[in-house]
Amino acid sequence: MSDVAVAGGRTAMRGRLGGAPVAARPALDARRALQLVLAAIWLLDAVLQYQGFMFSKGFNQMLAGTASGNPAAVAKPITWDATLIDHHMVLLNSIFATIQLLLGLGIAFRPTLRIALAASIPWALGVWWFGEGLGGVLSGAASPLNGAPGAVIIYALLAVLLWPADREVPAPFTAARAVGAHVARALWAVLWLSLAYFALTPANRAPQGVNGMIAGMESGEPVWLQDLQKGMASLVANQGLATSVVLAVALVLIAAGVYLPAGIAKATLVLAIVVAAFIWVFAEALGGILAGGATDVNSGPLLALLALAYWPLRAIPAAVPAASATPVASEEEA
Amino acid sequence: MTPAWILDIFAAIMLVVAALSAARLVAARPWQPGAVVTDTDISHLLMGIAMAGMLAAGLTTLPNDVWAAIFGVLMVWFGYRVVRDYRASGARALAVGHCAPHLVHSAAMLYMFLAITAPAAGGGAGMGGMGGASGMSTLHVPTLAFVFALILIGYTIWDLDQLSGLRFGVAAAVAGATSPALVGASAGAVAGSGAVGAPADSPAGYGGAGYGAGAGRSGSTPILDSLGIVVGCRIAMGVTMALMLIIMI
Repeated sequence: MSDVAVAGGRTAMRGRLGGAPVAARPALDARRALQLVLAAIWLLDAVLQYQGFMFSKGFNQMLAGTASGNPAAVAKPITWDATLIDHHMVLLNSIFATIQLLLGLGIAFRPTLRIALAASIPWALGVWWFGEGLGGVLSGAASPLNGAPGAVIIYALLAVLLWPADREVPAPFTAARAVGAHVARALWAVLWLSLAYFALTPANRAPQGVNGMIAGMESGEPVWLQDLQKGMASLVANQGLATSVVLAVALVLIAAGVYLPAGIAKATLVLAIVVAAFIWVFAEALGGILAGGATDVNSGPLLALLALAYWPLRAIPAAVPAASATPVASEEEA
Repeated sequence: MTPAWILDIFAAIMLVVAALSAARLVAARPWQPGAVVTDTDISHLLMGIAMAGMLAAGLTTLPNDVWAAIFGVLMVWFGYRVVRDYRASGARALAVGHCAPHLVHSAAMLYMFLAITAPAAGGGAGMGGMGGASGMSTLHVPTLAFVFALILIGYTIWDLDQLSGLRFGVAAAVAGATSPALVGASAGAVAGSGAVGAPADSPAGYGGAGYGAGAGRSGSTPILDSLGIVVGCRIAMGVTMALMLIIMI
């Protein structure tokens, strides 16, 4: 902290604690760095939830719309929930936003890390059902380009994988620390193979399937983003099958990557991050945040964060610049 | 439109931040020779008042142009400090120093006052509150608002982690007033009036202020000087500013 020193009528600025004890600064390892990114995303979700749109009928209609195409057992609770929110819009949405605010701050605050991570799992599962209609997985609307299998389910997955416990020491990658390498790899494979499957569903491999999805996200976006999306939409116009096949092949490679030697695994993780960035920019329009009315960042950043959690540990400092070069356990793990 | 009562709550939080900053400034007794006041307190005081005015129409104080000029000056000041810290300590100063986040805060405030488009009937001296009766204010160049919000959220999360790490960690118990480094730094800082201060080599703001009574500020109190209050104000400000930027996109 710098100060203004007022002496003899003169005012000057100077640093106050320049020699403060550096040793007191808490350690930051790769897992803690990833937890902080997750906390930041929850916090961003919270402020998004405070937007004016969320207190309007539009939010309620958006929720009710996720019931469409789902089995009755899934759809009826969504409809009930949407009706309830319609009746108590301001109160319930304020609670939703505040819960997400507390989750974000709770994960960042070390003493409450476990509570916040644990609470985020049922919350994310609830939102996955009542807010995202299970990500369209059962309705046939799911696509890796529109956030399948539901962005919020990835929050729950990350909460499990980044849980501050060490089941496997030394772990080959961060995500393996809490659940073990076998389980972590299986979860990764299931996620990315499911995305590959969704990429090849009839709706997504239709000639204008991908084109329509990208073009549908242009509305309300800034001109520069619209231009990017228009360019991509024209590139894939009438190329739905080819695009879906290429995407599915990439997703299968990514799914298999964590079972391969470290060098190849890194290459597939880089591919995963590139695919996630591609999806987020072109298909998800940065989660629709710049158009207003977005409830979350959508799946792109979460897929990239997940990929970082699978980066071979010895290379973590290069992959996550924020992480300390010295792998010192964080306090919450002590 | 975001309900007014929610904006009022955040406005109240900003007034509390402003009041705490004002109390710290007063406690430093700037009218006495050798007194020490902090630029961050000045910054927080001004930002708290300005943000409260943006959030709640009834709390509007100065015209937007005046606020823009004030935050322009603050931005230049913290920009100078960042460059100076960078020259002294390299990029690490940007990550752990306090000047970079305050530079972002000042720049975000300047952007908001320059880019805001008041609701149709909300012109005049201030912006009449973000959620004035005539509708919601919005910002030009919303991409910039998003970028600022991301950076602010990043700093907020980092602050919270570092703050809780210090309090939760073993080091916090022993890095209090008895630390020779801390006492020495404080004394040296007081003695160093007239000079632009020591480089932000240490994580300024996390260094332990408040663990010892009156850690380096003549006339200040342990509570006002506590790390929780100082960094807590910055966290509250970061969250509120990110909220304002996002809901005005």
